[in-house]
Amino acid sequence: MSREELLERFVRNAEKAQFRVHRGEPPAIEGAGVSVALHGLADTGSVVLAASPNEPRARHLLGDVHVSLLAESRILPDLATLFASLERPLPSSLSIVTGPSRSADIEQRLIVGLHGPAEVHIVLLPA
Amino acid sequence: MTSLSRPAGSFREIARGRLADPDLQATFDGVTGRLKKHRLATWDGLEDPERLRSRAYEIRMRTIDDLERHLAAFTEQVESRGGHVHVCASAADARKTVVAIARSAEARLVAKSKSMASEEIGLNTALEAAGMQVVETDLGEYIVQLAGGHPEHIIVPAIRQTASEVARLFEQVEGAPVSPELQELGQVARRQLAHVFRTADVGVTGANFAVSETGSICLVTNEGNAGLLTALPRVHVALLGLERLVPTLDELAVLLQLLARSATGQPLTSYTRLVNGPAGPGETDGPEEFHVVVIDNGRARLRGTRYREMLACIRCGACINVCPVYRKSGGAAYGPVYSGPMGAILVPLLTGLEHAPDLPHASSLCGACTDVCPVKIPLHGLLLELRKDLVEERITPARERLAFRLWSFAWSRPSLYRLSTTLARLGQRLAPRVGPGRAWAAERALPPLARRRFRDRR
Repeated sequence: MSREELLERFVRNAEKAQFRVHRGEPPAIEGAGVSVALHGLADTGSVVLAASPNEPRARHLLGDVHVSLLAESRILPDLATLFASLERPLPSSLSIVTGPSRSADIEQRLIVGLHGPAEVHIVLLPA
Repeated sequence: MTSLSRPAGSFREIARGRLADPDLQATFDGVTGRLKKHRLATWDGLEDPERLRSRAYEIRMRTIDDLERHLAAFTEQVESRGGHVHVCASAADARKTVVAIARSAEARLVAKSKSMASEEIGLNTALEAAGMQVVETDLGEYIVQLAGGHPEHIIVPAIRQTASEVARLFEQVEGAPVSPELQELGQVARRQLAHVFRTADVGVTGANFAVSETGSICLVTNEGNAGLLTALPRVHVALLGLERLVPTLDELAVLLQLLARSATGQPLTSYTRLVNGPAGPGETDGPEEFHVVVIDNGRARLRGTRYREMLACIRCGACINVCPVYRKSGGAAYGPVYSGPMGAILVPLLTGLEHAPDLPHASSLCGACTDVCPVKIPLHGLLLELRKDLVEERITPARERLAFRLWSFAWSRPSLYRLSTTLARLGQRLAPRVGPGRAWAAERALPPLARRRFRDRR
């Protein structure tokens, strides 16, 4: 799969997972939490966040709106390639995020934004 | 105590009550139907689902055959990162261990994310008896906790509560009126639980999988509550069923592709988290202490039996949603924790067949469960094996065993067989009115027999 195909696939699946995807220009959102993603996964449209002194474990779960910055060059095909590419030792925690916080626990109807953000953005940074 | 060792009475009694409740029937039908549809929709997106299922079965069985080695490797990895592993033989051991961890953390508030293992060992009651407040943070489990009941479905615990019922439960916490409007209920729950996340001393989560090569536990949620519990409280305790170990991350990827698809019809849930230890140096959140409580509670013993394949179960709930019996009876008929085909097998295996003799019969043996199982457990075959054990262990009533021995004797002899069909034709009007025929016909129609037997048509 070429770089362009991978990118296109990532954007399509991320939007399917209810991310809003921006290319280049970051959106101006007051009070949004911001994280820097370690990787993106094209197959599922996920962003991968690794805990570190700069990236607290809970950051992407606090607040109503979250923005993840992702370098286009960091997009991988899928989970298996992610797991194969991770350096050891692993970060203390790794979160694979695929969309907003949601629940269908009441009458199987969708609530978006339960404990985590209802609105999630990905800003793609060109290589 | 919310423990597996106390199943909830007779399946028939509870199921009969459920059958008489049209609202409940519509709810069970609706929810399981939707989950079934969602599963099918993403299942088709897989390139070769059959190959993936076979690979998952192979991974699960290979690991189960070598659990000691994988547990030792997992323990070594967790300890090398500063975490602790506690292996508990029984539910009582596991309860004691978690209570001791919470006590030494001087915990007043314990926050939990959904864990069927916790339901299995009856953890909440034990923590409360030790003077701690326990709050469930998964929306469904929170509702069930406020209602004072037990989860009715491993994926949708509050399957039977309507939005208005939920609003009434939230009002008791809120001390003010709550609208039954869905998004409003979400906001109220978020507000009520935000305080719990911030002030809990100990976070208790389950573990969907644990990876022995890296010492990771893997948690899958849509709400994000498990993620918060692995980040905010001072102490994180993960409850791990002994059989949920996976050797490598590569093999975890295979199982993750199947879990969410089978459970809710998502390629991945919103949040898939790997936890590899307590907070690292310089990190501003994450727990000081990370404990994994490994629960055996009868699992290791199953490896040497013909039920060993049941240990492959990844608790996705797909078998529950396709089960024609569950759709009518709901979850409570199976007991407080596991339900549907997986529950009908697991509960007798973990508690002893004599304590749950109804459950192997809570199946039409249609095989829909076996068809959808993502790890290819021959579920209806195992139910049949359990029925054999019921007879061999003489748990089936003597009268019933005698009746089947007589039937087998008669139908092994052509003359008695012919006599029986003659009698059946003559007696078919009488049969629904007397003896066992009456009980059978109370809930269904007896199939009519032809006036002339096939063998008599010359």
